[in-house]
Amino acid sequence: MLSYIMRRIGVSIVILFGSSFLVFNLAAYASDPLAELRLSSDDGARQQIIALTRDLNLDVPPPLRYFLWLKGVLGLFVGNLNLGMTREASSVQEELAYAIPVTLRLVLVATFTALILGMAFGIISALRQYSRFDYGMTFLAFLLYSLPIFWIAVLLKEFMAIQFNNFLGDPDIPTLWMVLASTFTGVFWGALFGGERKRFWSIFAGAFATNFLLLWAIDLTDWYLNPGLGPILVGLLSGGLAIGVTSISTGVENKPARNAALSMAALAFLSYYPAQWVFNNFGSYLTIFLLIVLIVLTGITLSRIFSRIDRGPIARTAIITGILSGFLILTDRVMQSWSGYMATDAVNGRPVPTYGQRKDQLVTDDFWLNNLDIISHLVLPTLALILISLAGWIRYTRGSLLEVLNQDYIRTARAKGLNERTVVTRHAFRNMMLPLSSLFVGEVLGLISGAVITERVFGWQGMGTLGIKAINSYDLNLLMGVNLLLSILVVMGNLIADLLYSVLDPRIRLGK
Amino acid sequence: MKITRGAKLALAVVASSALAVSLLTPAQAATRSTIVLHDTNSLTSFNSGTPDTNLTINGKVGNLSGIGFLYINDKKNVVRNTKFGEFKIVKNKADDFRIEYKVNKGLVWSDGTPINGVDLLLTHVLSSNKYSIAAGLGDPDSDNVPAFNSNGYGGTYSDNIVGEPVLSADKMTLTLQFKQKIANWDLYGPGPSPVHTMVLIADGVKSLQSVAVNEKARDKFFDAYKTKNTAVLKAMGKVYSEAYNITEVNASTNPLLFVGNGGFLVESAVTKSSVTLKVNPKYNSGPALSGTIDTVIFKFIADGTAAAQALANGELDIYSGQPTADAVAALKKLTNVNLIGGINACYEHWDTRVGNAPGQDEYTGIFKGHGGKGADLRRAFLLSVPREEINEKLIRPINPSATILGSTFIAPGFDGYERLIANNGSFYYNGPQSELNAKAARLLKKHYPNAGPDNPVKVNVLVPGNNPRRAAEFALAKANALKVGFDLVGDVQASWSPKIQLSKYDVQFFAYCPSAVTQAGSNGNFKLGGGNNRNGINLPTLDKILEKLQLPMDNKTYISTIIQAERIIHAEGLTSGVFLHPAVTAVNKLLKGIKPSPLSDDVVWNWWEWSY
Repeated sequence: MLSYIMRRIGVSIVILFGSSFLVFNLAAYASDPLAELRLSSDDGARQQIIALTRDLNLDVPPPLRYFLWLKGVLGLFVGNLNLGMTREASSVQEELAYAIPVTLRLVLVATFTALILGMAFGIISALRQYSRFDYGMTFLAFLLYSLPIFWIAVLLKEFMAIQFNNFLGDPDIPTLWMVLASTFTGVFWGALFGGERKRFWSIFAGAFATNFLLLWAIDLTDWYLNPGLGPILVGLLSGGLAIGVTSISTGVENKPARNAALSMAALAFLSYYPAQWVFNNFGSYLTIFLLIVLIVLTGITLSRIFSRIDRGPIARTAIITGILSGFLILTDRVMQSWSGYMATDAVNGRPVPTYGQRKDQLVTDDFWLNNLDIISHLVLPTLALILISLAGWIRYTRGSLLEVLNQDYIRTARAKGLNERTVVTRHAFRNMMLPLSSLFVGEVLGLISGAVITERVFGWQGMGTLGIKAINSYDLNLLMGVNLLLSILVVMGNLIADLLYSVLDPRIRLGK
Repeated sequence: MKITRGAKLALAVVASSALAVSLLTPAQAATRSTIVLHDTNSLTSFNSGTPDTNLTINGKVGNLSGIGFLYINDKKNVVRNTKFGEFKIVKNKADDFRIEYKVNKGLVWSDGTPINGVDLLLTHVLSSNKYSIAAGLGDPDSDNVPAFNSNGYGGTYSDNIVGEPVLSADKMTLTLQFKQKIANWDLYGPGPSPVHTMVLIADGVKSLQSVAVNEKARDKFFDAYKTKNTAVLKAMGKVYSEAYNITEVNASTNPLLFVGNGGFLVESAVTKSSVTLKVNPKYNSGPALSGTIDTVIFKFIADGTAAAQALANGELDIYSGQPTADAVAALKKLTNVNLIGGINACYEHWDTRVGNAPGQDEYTGIFKGHGGKGADLRRAFLLSVPREEINEKLIRPINPSATILGSTFIAPGFDGYERLIANNGSFYYNGPQSELNAKAARLLKKHYPNAGPDNPVKVNVLVPGNNPRRAAEFALAKANALKVGFDLVGDVQASWSPKIQLSKYDVQFFAYCPSAVTQAGSNGNFKLGGGNNRNGINLPTLDKILEKLQLPMDNKTYISTIIQAERIIHAEGLTSGVFLHPAVTAVNKLLKGIKPSPLSDDVVWNWWEWSY
């Protein structure tokens, strides 16, 4: 195993040298950093040509200049990495160090949300193969797959930002919209849970009525100007979550688990007001972390109270319920800052921005306002990224699970008399994850390369924007910096994926 | 799965709120005092005077925070700022040309320090190669960075200045001597810099000081300047070259960096995101502010569509750019903005080759030589470029008032343009394309009797790559040229500018973007030995006429001189202007006084006129 890894790393280094040499020379010969200056009749152009030639060694032929650059890169081993200067005389390392966290903030949430949602939809699709829901999801997946991100981004900005902000200026939901939205919701839930025609229509009617009433109430109370969930809704939703989580995690027939989860929901309801006090007085990431620890401890305690045996799954169920309920209370607290956020000068009543990472003019110490600002800037790009990557995960998951469900060991599991939940979550789900894991590694490492178009369209100064800028301004050092980082990630990603695969699947042996 | 009713309700809530999107209704307009502009590049420095930081955005911020003897308006005319001071020619001989600059009394920097003539001296330090060498600050033409890493060295000022500027006894008047009359001499004058802040920063001071301390610091610079004290000047040069290269500004940043005499001064900045400027309460160096604006913000957005949508969403007040026809159509639909169509300073033109550029291979193509066959074929070729069609199909969707260019020296709208194009021989190239084609075919047949659409003459064209508009322009030209009998062989090059001079190309088309307003501007394109004469043009009579443009002259003489020059240029078929690059500015309807300029300062040149 070790010799295999060493051999792979050795080959990777050779590939890195080769590719960087090629890219450096191709880029150097294809572009002329002095192009604009040569045509300029400005007095300053002469001085700029002198300075650029001096700073970027433009008088050295590219194949030789590569080795000057390489010398700086190899400086890494003596603790003196030097990727050179950009055209604007800033250090390439600093540019990269600025861009990577920006990109991560943008794509982390989007990738994980897309993964979870996509897998959930894919699993349901596979379990209900050839149902209305399955066809609906297949349609949705292909639709999203075929949409270009820049177009989705423009539409999202138009409807979710510009028009939504206009709407907030004079909020009133027209009845037609209520009917349309409720119909859509009804069809969605009907297709998801429906079987027989009668059942479909009853679910449709229920969802339609619920949704319509909800929108009506929202409209009547101007909820979107002063949103929040309140203790009662938090309690009810937590209860729903408790039952939902239990049914997937252990099955509701597991009484101790169900009771532990429901107790957790009740505790969430009871802690609503104390939580407000904590949030208002100690709003910080540390507080949130400590509350998560508290929930975990409570979950373990509950499992000890409700059962003497098999406490693991019970604790797990209670903890998941607790964290989801806690998330509801947290959401409620963020929502409470909404009207204050709207009223600030920087926001000026138009809270959904179309670009940027933060509102620089919003200078405040309020933890909640700052986070709301970050969230409001994240909403649209995240949504755009989720929409385009959702499709892939739905299709992969569906295909993978269907293949696993046809395996002999699934038939054996069913023949043993295991219930469907156990067969799916324990026997099928884990094996389904195998092919997805290697995809996932690639995806996560790809994150750092940045979402080029999304970043540009939404004005995020991450890796993608940096790469584009390097190309557009013929900035060779910057381009090589971006390129080097990405090549390293791709090579590493492939290696990690292969290793992970052999760890997860004992049938696979590497290097033999 | 029947138990998930609760979860269903929960999800229904989420889904419903996501769907709660409704129809458009105009937002309430509140009284504002903030104006938000954008730029495609991020700010890299608060000093745009070094070669590395000479970016438009850096210059725009500098424009708001400082003002001197003059500014250039949206018609590209030089306007004197008499609030700051006056300047006049005091000696006007062919070999001794002197100008006197007088700073008005009572003007102050934003830290309260009175402005005087010492503040003008830094221009000399930043522009004169001789001074830099003499003071031991380094030779700007060498491989080593001079102490003041200034972009101003090696230009017209440095080439023509005689001795050092002379400061009067009251320190309010500065006299410059040039070795000859220079055209546009007013553009090369000195500008004010708060030199005392540089001295203080070099000494490690990190906060604003009293007027007395500031005066003392300024005296220290003045002494060092006079005695060429290398150590003091070098320390200041380090400040000039490095201290301003920051992009994050907050309460802990040294306030000395942002002392200025402009209407708005830097208050804060966030890296790669924005710069915020606040009104300067002590401002008295220029036209009075309208008073309704107290904050100016620049936001950096690279993507044109994103900026247009930000404008629609009220996050921006001014959008300016060079968008596509579709983007213009989208902007027109916005209800909260006014659209100001316009142009930028770049002009697209087609050039033909006469001979080889210096140091290049001998040119042996069809256009070789002045007069006779070469001139006939060049004229025939330029006649075959469908300029009207290119304007109609590519430019007018963006700028409806675009016209073909009758001159490559001055742009439509400039004083005297009408008289110029009526007399400079450009009418030869005007008319319906069918007539022009017939004219071209006659000229072509004179030398190639068998030439025609079936038997075309090859013309090698350098086509700039990575540019859809130029690809379309070339396609239109190729189609029409074939009707005349020219077969345009395009060579698409992404890195095209160094290749303009190669003898293998008979024709090139691209744009010059003059960023200044000098009358000598297009001079170097046609003059023997001119920096941009890449087509081997060698016409002594033309050189003689162009020579005159180096000297100052009034508008009437100026236009008459260009008429003479362009008559030769058009008769020889050397170049043909096609269109000015279109630009569009969209402005928040409530905002007044925005007048986009075709030069790089764009909308910021008249910040004092902005108002709500």
